[in-house]
Amino acid sequence: MTKVAGRRLAWAALLLAVAVAFYIGTTDRRSPTDAERVMDIATTVACPACAGESAANSQAPAAVYVRNQIAKGVAAHQSDDQIRAGLAASYGNSILLTPPSHGVQSIVWILPVAALVAAAAGLAFTFRRWRRA
Amino acid sequence: MKRSRTALVSAIALGVVLAVLIGVLATSKSADDRQTTSPLLGKPAPALAGDEIVGAAGRVDLATVAPGKWVLVNFFGTYCVPCKAEHPDLVRFSQVNASTAEVVSVVFDDKVSNVKSYFDQNGGSWPVIDDPDGSIATSWGVAKVPESYLVAPDGTVVSKVVGGIEYAKLQDLLTRAESSS
Repeated sequence: MTKVAGRRLAWAALLLAVAVAFYIGTTDRRSPTDAERVMDIATTVACPACAGESAANSQAPAAVYVRNQIAKGVAAHQSDDQIRAGLAASYGNSILLTPPSHGVQSIVWILPVAALVAAAAGLAFTFRRWRRA
Repeated sequence: MKRSRTALVSAIALGVVLAVLIGVLATSKSADDRQTTSPLLGKPAPALAGDEIVGAAGRVDLATVAPGKWVLVNFFGTYCVPCKAEHPDLVRFSQVNASTAEVVSVVFDDKVSNVKSYFDQNGGSWPVIDDPDGSIATSWGVAKVPESYLVAPDGTVVSKVVGGIEYAKLQDLLTRAESSS
């Protein structure tokens, strides 16, 4: 095996390991219990009466009430998005800690990815120029 | 030459991103504005029903409690200082506007026994309902008490007031709502 082929193989192995790690990290093969779902959703919703705290962490009455409401939605087999939309309909979108992926607020999701792609492209461009020089 | 052009393009790209961010932040409503706005304004009032806990026993339902009248839905707790401060103003408001408006109070995180003795001592003859699991408060978007909502005779939410409110301001709120309806 040539030196170049070995290096490519090492890069391929590294990429594969990263992809597998991402897959394992982002997929949970066990279905969450209702109580786990309630807390999962509550971590994405702000406590209405607190500053910078999620409804999952706060013991303020309004946060407890929000968790009760989420539990009702879970018991009624509503989806996570339906439950979150129901809370946003009463409190406004500011109660959602993860901004929506549409409209102006989608810029929060798009910007980091765009910055990452631009940085990677910049690095690739610079490395290529260095190699030629 | 080529390097300076790359720098120029980078600077322009960065400037565009910054301009977009500044634009988003500048056009967003401030935290102060959000306190008195609500997604409910201009929409049909959420359901509000429960058993009367202070006056004569019976079922209270916002849809039928005061036909043809304005309803001030007041979320409160007897432990809350601004709620105590506004209570005499609510009593006066309900007496002065008895023919055109009704107050309905919803208990927020408090014991029924506390509420009963509080009304015995401080007056107030409007319907009071309990909300033990907070489902009413959550559907109205209540964060902390006191919070009040003015509901038009057709069932539309027209105003939200965060914090304690004085009689004169309540009266002004009602007058303005009546004249614009």
